[in-house]
Amino acid sequence: MDSGKNVIELVDVRKTFRDFWLRPSVKAVDGLSLAVGRGEVFGLLGPNGSGKSTTIKMILGLLAPSSGKVSLFGLPPRSIEARKHLGYLPELSYLHPFLTATETLLYYAGLSGLSRSEAKRRAAQLLEMVGLSSVAGRAVGGFSKGMSRRVALAAALVGKPELLVLDEPTSGLDPISTKEVKTLVKALSAGGMTILMTSHLLADAEDVCDRVMILNHGKSVALGRVSELGTSLEEFFLAKVGDIGDFKLAPFLA
Amino acid sequence: MVASVAWMLAAPFFLQSDGTVDGARELYVHYAPGGVFALLVVSLLASATGAVASERTAKRLQLSMVRPVRYFTIALAKISALVACGAAVLALSFAVLVVKSDLSRKCCHVVKPTMPSPAEEAEAMYKSFMADPATPPQVKSARKSVVLRLLANRAIDNYQTIATNDSAVWKFSAGGEGEAVRIRFSSQFDMRRDVRGVFRAPGLEGVVSNITQAIVTIPLRRTAPAAGDGATRSADEPVELSFENRGTHALMLRPRRDIDLLVPADSFLRNLARSYLQLVAILALLVSFGVFLSAALGRPVALFTAVVALVVGEMSPSVVAQYPDELEKNAVDRIGLALTRFAAEVTRPVSSLSPLESLATDACVEPRETARVAVLDLLTVPLLLSLLAAVVMPRKEEDS
Repeated sequence: MDSGKNVIELVDVRKTFRDFWLRPSVKAVDGLSLAVGRGEVFGLLGPNGSGKSTTIKMILGLLAPSSGKVSLFGLPPRSIEARKHLGYLPELSYLHPFLTATETLLYYAGLSGLSRSEAKRRAAQLLEMVGLSSVAGRAVGGFSKGMSRRVALAAALVGKPELLVLDEPTSGLDPISTKEVKTLVKALSAGGMTILMTSHLLADAEDVCDRVMILNHGKSVALGRVSELGTSLEEFFLAKVGDIGDFKLAPFLA
Repeated sequence: MVASVAWMLAAPFFLQSDGTVDGARELYVHYAPGGVFALLVVSLLASATGAVASERTAKRLQLSMVRPVRYFTIALAKISALVACGAAVLALSFAVLVVKSDLSRKCCHVVKPTMPSPAEEAEAMYKSFMADPATPPQVKSARKSVVLRLLANRAIDNYQTIATNDSAVWKFSAGGEGEAVRIRFSSQFDMRRDVRGVFRAPGLEGVVSNITQAIVTIPLRRTAPAAGDGATRSADEPVELSFENRGTHALMLRPRRDIDLLVPADSFLRNLARSYLQLVAILALLVSFGVFLSAALGRPVALFTAVVALVVGEMSPSVVAQYPDELEKNAVDRIGLALTRFAAEVTRPVSSLSPLESLATDACVEPRETARVAVLDLLTVPLLLSLLAAVVMPRKEEDS
C-alpha cells in the first residue's frame, strides 16, 4: 500500500453516462480533482444532481471514470488491497431484513476477512458502541430507520477501515442520534481515520469537516477549510450554487 | 425439505404401476426422486436468477462489492450456497429411497452392439444411393447435408430382419462376461407375435420362449464348454452374441436401440451414490447458468431467459426429429429449423441428463460418465460462469 499522505486522489476525473445507443446523455462529473489526506474529515457538498453520489461511487470503485484517475491509498479503487481499508455507509441502510443485528455484522466481518472469533468480538463491541446491544438478536427488518442506520454504521466500521465513506450519515436520525454520530465521526478522526462524507445538512458538515468541496453541475465550485470560507457555510453555499429556482410556487401561493 | 420428504413418502399412492412388484419399484425409483429433482430445478433456477439481480435492485450488492472480496468469489459463493441447499434436499429424498429400497440389488453395465455410427452408415448409404441410377432425381439434386441427416435418422431406426431358422450376430465391447440380454419390441405388431429363439455367447446360452412383452431380459446360462471355448479371452476382445430365430415368423429388431448385453457391475447403493452425484452436478450446472444470467441481466429478464433456455433445450430434439423436411422449402421454416437444430446441437434436455431411469432399471450409472459430469458440471462450468459473472457484475452495477 502507498504510504503517501493522500488517502483519496482524483485527477481530472470525468464521468459521462451514455444512453442505450452509447451516445453521451449526462455529464455527471466534469474534470474533478481532489486529494484527501490521512486523518482528514472531508465534506462533499452540493445540491441534488451535482455529482456527489457519482463521485463517491467512483471512489468506491462501483463506477469507472470515463477519463481521469481515481486512487485510494495510491491503488485502483477496485483492487482488493484498497478495499481492505475501506468502510462505506450508503445513503439508505440496505440491510438484509431477515438477519439479526449480530448476524449482519458477522456477515460483513466475514466479507472483510475477519476470523470468526475476532468478528464476534468486534460485532459485540460495535453494537455496544452504537447502543444496540439490547436488540442484538432481533432481525433488522423490524428496526426503526434510526436503529437501521446505526447497524449500517457499525457494519461500515466492522472491518476496521482506515477510510470511512459516509453518504448522508445523519439522514433519518433524530437530533440526539445526529449529535452522537457527529461525536463518533470526530472521535474516529481523532483516532487517525480518514472520513469522506456527504451531507445536505450544512450545519453537520460545518461541525465535523476539516475541509469541504462544493460541487455544482459536476464541477468543483469551492474547496477549502470551513474556517477559510468566510461567512457561514450555508451563506457561502447559496452564494456559490445560487438559487436553483426549480420550484415555481407563485401560482399556488396566489 | 418437508415437501420433498412428503412427496417421497406419498409417491407410491399416486404412481400407478403395471401391478408387478418390480414395476412398482421401477416407477418409484424413477419418479419419486425425479419429482423432487424437478421441484429443485424450478425452485433453484428461480432463486439463482434472483441471486445477484435482487441484491443489485435492493442496492445490497454494492455493500458486498466494496468489501475486500473478489467478485468471482461473490458469484461462486452464491452458486455454492444454492447447490448446497439443493444437495441437502436431494440427500434427504435419497435417504428415504435408501430406507425403502432393497439394498441387495445389483446393477449392470448396459452394452450396445458395436456398429458404425449413424453418420458413417448414412455416408455409406448416400454413396450407394448416388451411384444407383434408380434413385429419383429429386434426391440426387437435394442438398447433401439434408439427405445425410435423413439417412442418419433412418440408420438409427434401421430394422434388421431375422427369418425363421436364420441367425444374426452382433459384437459387443463388453469388458466382461454377459449376464443377460435385454430385447425391446417397440411395435404392437411385434408384441402380438410369439417370439422364440436362442441367444448364444461364448460358453453362454439364453432361451427365448413365448415372449409377448415389450421389454424382456433373458438370462444367459453357462453351457458345457465346446471345442475352442477353453481359449482365454482378453477383456478388450469383443463378445459375439448370436440369435437364432426358432419362431414361426421373421423377427424385426433395431440393433442400435433394441438389443442390450447386460454385464454385472456393482451394488445398487453405489449406483445410487453415483446417481446422486450426477443430479447434484446437473443442479450445479443450472444454478451456475442462473447466477450468471442474474449477474448480467435484471431478475425478470434473467428468469425469462432461463425458462426459455430450459424449454428450448427440452423441446428442440423432438422438434428436430418430428418436423417434416418438406417444410424446408419455405424460407421462414428453414431458418426456424436451422435455429432449432442449432439449439438441439448445443444443448441437451435436462430430463435426458438425469440418471434416474438407469437407476430404476438397474442399469449402471457409469463411474467414468459420473466423473466426467462431476468435473464438467460441478467444477468447470461453475468456475467458468463465476468468472464471466465477475466480469459482467461491475458493468451491470454501473448501469443500475
